[in-house]
Amino acid sequence: MPLSANSDPGPLVKVRDLTKAFGTNQVLKGVDLDVQRGEVVCIIGASGSGKTTLLRCINLLETYDAGSIEVDGVEVGYRGDGSGRRARSDRELARIRADIGMVFQLFNLFPHLTASENVMLGLRKVRGMATAEARTMAEHWLTRVGLSEKFDAMPIELSGGQQQRVGIARAVAMNPKVLLLDEITSALDPELVGEVLTVVRELAREGMTMILVTHEMTFARDVATQVVFMDAGRVAVQGTPAEIFGNQPHERLRGFLSRIEMKTWA
Amino acid sequence: MIAVMLHSLPFLWQGLLVTLEISALVVVVSLVWGVLFGVGLCYGPRWVAWPIRLYSDIVRGLPLLTLIFTIYYGLPVAGVKVGNFWAAMIALAAFETAHVAEVARGAIQSLHPGQADAGKAIGLSFPQRMLYVVFPQAMRRFLPPWINTVVDTVKGSALLSLVGVVDLMLAVQQVIGRTFRPMPLYILGALIYIAINYALSYTSRRLEARFAFIRE
Repeated sequence: MPLSANSDPGPLVKVRDLTKAFGTNQVLKGVDLDVQRGEVVCIIGASGSGKTTLLRCINLLETYDAGSIEVDGVEVGYRGDGSGRRARSDRELARIRADIGMVFQLFNLFPHLTASENVMLGLRKVRGMATAEARTMAEHWLTRVGLSEKFDAMPIELSGGQQQRVGIARAVAMNPKVLLLDEITSALDPELVGEVLTVVRELAREGMTMILVTHEMTFARDVATQVVFMDAGRVAVQGTPAEIFGNQPHERLRGFLSRIEMKTWA
Repeated sequence: MIAVMLHSLPFLWQGLLVTLEISALVVVVSLVWGVLFGVGLCYGPRWVAWPIRLYSDIVRGLPLLTLIFTIYYGLPVAGVKVGNFWAAMIALAAFETAHVAEVARGAIQSLHPGQADAGKAIGLSFPQRMLYVVFPQAMRRFLPPWINTVVDTVKGSALLSLVGVVDLMLAVQQVIGRTFRPMPLYILGALIYIAINYALSYTSRRLEARFAFIRE
């Protein structure tokens, strides 16, 4: 999947000093993150470490309190004016989000639409495609994720793994600059995890820029170009899979990995 | 008794039309405003949601009759001159709007928040999310209680006779005034109200079946 070339050589996603609190609970305490084009970044960490919140901030499903997030050079949630930052309008946000794909832990398919209609909705209403063109595109992507038999199935008729693959097709069909994947296998039965990860692996091979929050350590080790370990609202350690999963001097990370390891083998 | 009923029927016709006309008008007005207010309650900023909340709580806390009299006697005091028909219409529409707003709010809030997330994530604007994601799904939860408000409207319209609107109710009383036969007339009136409302709930059940695309 070739992504549109951009002359800007900087990082595609640039997060700087991001802070976010839910009430008195400071979830993000100054997060920095750079994601280059074509990179696959896996964010790992214990629950409550802020990784999902970070991901949701990137397409402003969560607002953030301070700091900045730029995707392809555009500040996501706010635009600066002389005196400070101002929230973007609904239409500006929609335009920005159209270029940022997202796949959800609980799939979040539209239950009143068939698999292909789920994929077509954004193509028709956001990209302005004619129905026939959108249908062709939807069928192309559903076939790519191995659901050529399920174009007209309602979400309720699909297994979790199939639903999640529709979710991926829905996000990728929009031709996003970056794809956000939020624990996309956490709600799946173990035997269905593989079919979903295979699709993600293929997208990675084709150069799709992705940021994943995941508990699949084997997957992170094999596919990630960069692994980010979050701890208590900060990026605690960051590096290549080899650095992260190798002999780690960072104590919290070592503890986290050993707990995950135990879970995997349990 | 049957003879009295049959004999009176033509005299009730005009009243029945007024009842249907008032009900239809109120249903349309309260549907539009109620859904707008319901959306405002769910998604509006504070300066939108709070006045609606206040309005809804006050209006739903009042007996309909109190509201009708307040508006009927209050509007002229406030310098607004409308006839008894429109004063009564405004009161009934205001009353039903508040109820529809709560029905709409409940239906919208019954959706999983992930649905809004998914709509946002593919770049749908707010009106598009309402139109293509929220409303089609909320419809199923909206319809049954909404039909109840329609039935309430038809029944509530009978109170408009108390401010001199010649609806079915007042037509019944006028005929009683001439025939001095209250029982057959009240029974006839009741049967007509029941017929209207039964037709409504029957339609409602048919519609519900059509929107049952989500099994739970």
